[in-house]
Amino acid sequence: MTCPLCDILKTCCADPMKFLGDWFVLLPALVLLLAAGAAVVMRNLIHAALCLTLSFIALGIVFIALGAEFVGFVQLLVYVGAVAMVIVFAILLTKPERLTKSGSAFSGLGPAGGAAVGFVALVALLGFIFTSPLAKKPLPAPASAPVAAIGEALMGDYVVALIAIAVLLTAALVGAAVIAMEDKQP
Amino acid sequence: MNLIERAPIELLHWFLNLLGSFGVPQWILAIVSAVLIIGTVIGVFLGLFALMSVMERKILARAQNRYGPNRVGFFRWRLCGLFQPVADGIKMITKEDLVPRTADHVVHFLAPVVMLIPALLVLAILPYGRDMVPADLNAGILYFFAVGAGTEVAVFMAGWASNNKYSVLGGMRAIAQMISYEIPLVIAAIIAAMISGSLSLPAIVAAQGGFAWGFVPQWFVLTPWGFVACLLFYIAALAESNRSPFDLPEGESELVAGHLTEYSGFKYAIFFMAEYVGMFAVCGLLVTLFLGGWQAPLPFLVIVPSWCWFFGKVCFVAFTMVWVRATLPRLRIDHMLAFAWKFLLPMSFAAFLSAACWHYAGRGPLAWLLSLAIVGIPYLILGTAFSNRFAVSRRTYQFSE
Repeated sequence: MTCPLCDILKTCCADPMKFLGDWFVLLPALVLLLAAGAAVVMRNLIHAALCLTLSFIALGIVFIALGAEFVGFVQLLVYVGAVAMVIVFAILLTKPERLTKSGSAFSGLGPAGGAAVGFVALVALLGFIFTSPLAKKPLPAPASAPVAAIGEALMGDYVVALIAIAVLLTAALVGAAVIAMEDKQP
Repeated sequence: MNLIERAPIELLHWFLNLLGSFGVPQWILAIVSAVLIIGTVIGVFLGLFALMSVMERKILARAQNRYGPNRVGFFRWRLCGLFQPVADGIKMITKEDLVPRTADHVVHFLAPVVMLIPALLVLAILPYGRDMVPADLNAGILYFFAVGAGTEVAVFMAGWASNNKYSVLGGMRAIAQMISYEIPLVIAAIIAAMISGSLSLPAIVAAQGGFAWGFVPQWFVLTPWGFVACLLFYIAALAESNRSPFDLPEGESELVAGHLTEYSGFKYAIFFMAEYVGMFAVCGLLVTLFLGGWQAPLPFLVIVPSWCWFFGKVCFVAFTMVWVRATLPRLRIDHMLAFAWKFLLPMSFAAFLSAACWHYAGRGPLAWLLSLAIVGIPYLILGTAFSNRFAVSRRTYQFSE
């Protein structure tokens, strides 16, 4: 007779470090779910933004725990360093009375509508993930130098996409500068 | 020579073997080894922080022609006031911890914690000596900046949770400053990574090893692009660690103490500590990227242990930061942001191009001239434009006399 719990306990006692390494990813994943949930239900907008930041951090740690170092670090750098700060700035620069007013188009539907939309999106995503041809492929062996491999892929196969994104970002930057430019009075 | 050089590693191995001979399981040994390494690194940097907090005041005093702290000693011995950090620490711990009634208590409490974590985490990837790097990550530089991003969140949390207009203004300034100066900082670091062909810090140090003609070290700072990138990195590092002349977020003449206004006691001490440890970490990264890391400057000086060179260089860079603080006045906020976007950013792109040309022109004398021209011409153009734009006209007094 074998119960799954006993098996888990046995592997834990045999080699605790390996066990920790294998199961560690559950901890940040749990934090990620809790923080994301808190970001949705929090009344205070700044608290919600901080919870969202925590979920970004947890997602980065999930990536790192799964062995995708590069993606994890980029997640932290871009989402925590830039996106979270932009969200916070946007909240601070908005007038406070606008924050308390609840007059959005979906206010009639309430939380039930939001939950329904979220559920449909989740089912659709899971459906796509499990039916995509990528899910049936076996996992490739991890590269010895992942960052170098990513760099070569970006500069080789995906160079057109990289350049297109660079042009897009430059255009966005110029646009932002134009909007922020002072109007010269004639 | 070899003994002192490898002393920290040998000591660790000796201790682990000793434990192993008592039949301690392997996984406990792994934990003990990790704890010992982490404890040593944090201990060394906290010691440096304590030393720096008194040395900074001493150096500033010397620059301003006064004595500085010279009283606190051990019983009857004054020891030039070297026990000042102990007195400061006791004062900070015993002070009352005031939290404003209207503050957001949870966020106010968490902000110093969030501030300290990234400052300590980034210490993990610095190569302190030959084979002495706690975590040799494949993407070391990326890790440094990714973890460092947490500092911005902490500053915002501190500023907003205090529920004080000076705190919020200081926090907003700090974030604007950090985001603006992060770009030249990262580009300067990327240049070093690009030339050495790796994001891993030990590999970057290895790429700067060896001596040209037997005596000139091949540090990146001794090339035209490397010199410019090193200066850009230094300036941006000053701004990132909120140090003078970029200490606007806590400019006491305008904002009381910025995001630190409502902090007192040990929470303030943690902010202070995190700032200094972060400053040492960024100095360590500068040394690693441009000043050859733990490499000795001359061949016959190799007998000095590599970790002595690393910490010596870090202390030198930290000393120059104090020197700059004693010399330069604080910038105005619009000047500071204009300086980042209109001068440092174009110059970092120029250094980037220059490094690429240096590499593809064969790294010889011709490459030298070419890269010198590519960074020199933009510097002259931007420099003259800036000195005309911000020229300080002579102050005329209308009503006096």
